[in-house]
Amino acid sequence: MRVYVLKRIVIAGVTLLGMSILIFVLMRLAPGNITDIIYESAGYVDEADRKKLEAELGIDKPVAIQYTRWLGEFVRGDLGKSYRYDLPAWEVIKPRLPVSLELAFIALVFSIVLGVPAGVVSAVSRGRPIDYVLRVLSLAGLSMPSFWLGMIVILLLVRALGWIPSMTYVSPFENLGANLFQFLLPGLAVGYRSSALIMRITRSTMLEVLREDYIRTAWAKGQRQTFVVWRHALKNASLPVITLIGIEFAFLIGGLIVTETVFNLPGVARYLVDAIQFRDYPIVQNLVMLIAVVVVFANLTVDLLYTWLDPRIKYGNA
Amino acid sequence: MTRPRSLRSLPFGAVLVLLLVAPGWAQTPKYGGVLVTHPLSAAPSLSPHEESTVAVTQQAGPCFNNLVYYDPAKKVESVDTIIPELAERWSWQDGYRNLIFFLRRDVKFHDGKPFTSADVKYTFDAVRGAPDAKVKLKVNPRKLWYENIEHIEAPDPYTVVFRLKKPQPSLLPMLASGYSPVYPAHVPLAEFKNKCIGTGPFKLKENKPGELVEYVRNPDYFVKGRPYLDGIKFIVIRDRSTQIAAVQSGQLDVAGTGWNRTNAEDAKKGAPKLTVVETDSNVNDNILINYKKPPFNDRRIRRAIDLALDRKAYLVGPRQGAATFGGALLPRPAGVWGLPAAEIAKLPGMGDAAKQKAEAKKLLAEAGYGPSNPLKFTLATRALAIYVDTASWMVDQLAQVGIEATLEQIETGVWHPKMTRLEYSVALNLTGIGIDDPDAQLFENYRCGSQRNFSGYCSEEIDRLMVEQSQATDPKKRLALVNEIDRRLQADGARPILGWGKQHWVLWPHVKGWVTHENSIYNVSRRQDVWLDK
Repeated sequence: MRVYVLKRIVIAGVTLLGMSILIFVLMRLAPGNITDIIYESAGYVDEADRKKLEAELGIDKPVAIQYTRWLGEFVRGDLGKSYRYDLPAWEVIKPRLPVSLELAFIALVFSIVLGVPAGVVSAVSRGRPIDYVLRVLSLAGLSMPSFWLGMIVILLLVRALGWIPSMTYVSPFENLGANLFQFLLPGLAVGYRSSALIMRITRSTMLEVLREDYIRTAWAKGQRQTFVVWRHALKNASLPVITLIGIEFAFLIGGLIVTETVFNLPGVARYLVDAIQFRDYPIVQNLVMLIAVVVVFANLTVDLLYTWLDPRIKYGNA
Repeated sequence: MTRPRSLRSLPFGAVLVLLLVAPGWAQTPKYGGVLVTHPLSAAPSLSPHEESTVAVTQQAGPCFNNLVYYDPAKKVESVDTIIPELAERWSWQDGYRNLIFFLRRDVKFHDGKPFTSADVKYTFDAVRGAPDAKVKLKVNPRKLWYENIEHIEAPDPYTVVFRLKKPQPSLLPMLASGYSPVYPAHVPLAEFKNKCIGTGPFKLKENKPGELVEYVRNPDYFVKGRPYLDGIKFIVIRDRSTQIAAVQSGQLDVAGTGWNRTNAEDAKKGAPKLTVVETDSNVNDNILINYKKPPFNDRRIRRAIDLALDRKAYLVGPRQGAATFGGALLPRPAGVWGLPAAEIAKLPGMGDAAKQKAEAKKLLAEAGYGPSNPLKFTLATRALAIYVDTASWMVDQLAQVGIEATLEQIETGVWHPKMTRLEYSVALNLTGIGIDDPDAQLFENYRCGSQRNFSGYCSEEIDRLMVEQSQATDPKKRLALVNEIDRRLQADGARPILGWGKQHWVLWPHVKGWVTHENSIYNVSRRQDVWLDK
C-alpha cells in the first residue's frame, strides 16, 4: 500500500516537472514577447527603454536561467508579477481561482449526479423505452460542445424570460443563493457533456457486471433489486467510471475557457486566454502550472480511491 | 448660456422639432442611477497617455478632464466645436506660435488636492518627452503630436503657456482629444496602471482588471449640477452574443461598441424597445502594401490590387451597407478634411467593376503576371472577426483578376509588431483616427519613418506638404493643401482606403444624453450629461 502511494506521488511529481518544461518552452516558442506588444503596438519604440523593461522583467536572461528562476519561485509560492497589470501575479490569479474551481466542482457534481444514475437505470432497463431515451440524451450530450450549449441556453433564456444570469460575479460569501443560481446553468452546460460520457461508461460496465455469477447468486438469494444493483453491481462497476471522472476533470477545466466567456464569469480559464495573447509569462506559466497541479492532484486522488474500491491493488505491484 | 440664446433665434417649429428629436435635452434631467455598459475590451491600464485603444479612453474618460474638450453636443468635431474644460479660456498669440491657457481656480483632484498649472506642465512635459520632464512615460504613443512644442511655462498657478517651434493651429484639437487628459503631478505615474485620480465627473470605485471598472459620482466636480448619474459601471464582456443577450435582458443600459450593423439589428429584434444609433466613426479599412518588398514596390502592382477591390461590393459585403467611401481623411459631411464627393467617385475601385478589373489585369500583365504566371502572395490580417470578414472578401476579389492570395490570420497580440517591422506582403488593416485633423492622421500613418507608417511609404514631397499644411493658419488654404496630399496619396496607392466604417450603439429608451460623434470614437467619454429616465 505504502509503495503504491509513494509510487503515485513520485509519478505525479515527475508529471508536474515535465509540465513545467512544456509550459515554459511553448510560451517561448510563440512569436513576440510582452515588450514587443507594449511598445510596438503603441507605435513608439525607444530601444533603450525596451531593453530596460526586458531587464526589469528578467526576460533578457538566457532561457535556462529564466526557467530555473521561475520554477524555484513557483515552488516557494512566489508567483512573480503580471507584466500586463503591473500587479503581483497572485493578486491577479487569487480572485479568479475560486470562480473556476466552483464552476468545475459544480460541473463535476452535475456530471456524476446525472451520469451515474442514468447509466445504472439504462443498464437495468436495457431495451426498454427509458433506456432508449437516456441513450439519446447521452448522445446529444456528447454531440453538443459546452460553449454552444451555453450560448443556446442564454439565447433561450433571454428570448423566453428576458433574463440571463448576472454578468458580474456574485461571491458565495456575499449571497450564496445568487451565487449558486449564477453557476447553475454554466455548471450544467459544462457538466452535461461529461455526464453523457459517464452515463455510457456506467451503462456498459454495469451490463458486464450484471452478467457476473455473483450478481446472479445475489438475485437467486432473493435480495432486493436496489441492494443488488447499487451495492454489489455498482461498486464493482465503478472502477472505470472513477477513472473516467478523473480524466474528465481535466477536460472540464479545458471546457471552462469558453463557458466562462459565454457566461461572463471572471475565472482563471478565461483570463488565461488574455494572458496568452499578451505574453504575460508569469500569469500564463503559473496559471497553467496551478491547473496542472489541480488535474494531477485529481488523478492522484482517483489512483488512491482505487485502493479502497479494489483491495487487490493494495497488495499488488500496480 | 449659449443654448437658450441660439434657440431663441430659431422659428417655433424648428424648436419643436429640435425638442422632439433631442429627448435628452427636451426633458428635465433626473439625478441618480448607475449606467451599466460594456467597453470594447478590458483596459490594459487607466492611463490614456500610455495607451492607444478606445477601450482606455472609454473607461478612463469619466475620471479625467482636459484643458479643452470637444463639445459633446456637436456631432461633428472641428476646431469650432472645442469648448473649455479645465481651462476657462485660451488665446493664440504670435501667429499660432504661443498658446496660452487661463485655468479654472475651483478644481480639485479626487484626492482633494488642488489642480494648478504645475499639473498641466507635468503632464505635457511627460507626453512630449521633454528632457527636464519630471516623469517619463513607459510607452508614449502620441509623442509625435507634441513634437512641435518647444517649451511649456507655468508663470503662475492658473496660467500655462505652450511655446511652439513653428505655428501649429492643430495643437488645440490635439489637446481636445480623449487621449489628452491632465494628470495630477503629485500621484506616481505607475498608479494609473490600475487606479485613477483625476478631476473628472466620476471617481474610481473599483477596478478589477479584465473584469470591470466602476465609478461613483464626484461630489466636488467643478461643473455645478453634474454629473447626473450616481455612477457608471463598465463590465468587460468578451463574447458578442453574450453582449447582445445582456443588453436585451436589461443588464446593460447601453451596448454596441465594436458591433456591426447586424449585431445591432439582432439586439433590436430580440428587444424592440431598444434604440439603434448608427454614426460614422473615423475608423477606416485600409490595405497595407509593403513598399519595401518586391514586386509591391512596382506602382502597377499596387494599382492593380487597388483597382481589383470593388468598393461597392465591399459596402454590401463585409460592411453590410454600413460604410462611406473616401480617401486618407474622413469625407464630408461626417468629416472635415476629406476629398470632395466628386473626386471620391473617381478613386480606384469606385468605378465600373468590370472595367476596373480589366484594367487591373492589364497592369498585372505589363508587370509580367498572367494566367500562366499568377501573382501569388499571403494576405495578412488580424485574427478578429471584423478584420477577417473583409480580408476573406478581398481574397475573392483578387482572385477575379487572377491574383492568388492566401489568407493568414495573425494573432492580435503580435499584429502591430509584425506590421511595424513590415513582416508581410499585403495586409488588411483597420485604423482609428484619434481626432479628425490632418496632423494626427498624416504624420502618423504616411510620414517617412513614422513607426505607424505600416506600409513603409515614403515621399519627401508629401512630407514637405504635410509640414506646410500643418503650419497653414488659413483654414481654406490648409484644406486645399490637405486635399492635394490626399489626391497624391491615392494616386500613389499609399495605403488604399476601402472605406470608412460606421459605429453602432444600442440603448434603452431610459438612457438620455448619450451622445456619439461622427468623426471620432475617442472623444466623448466624459458622460457627465448622461442621465437615466427611470
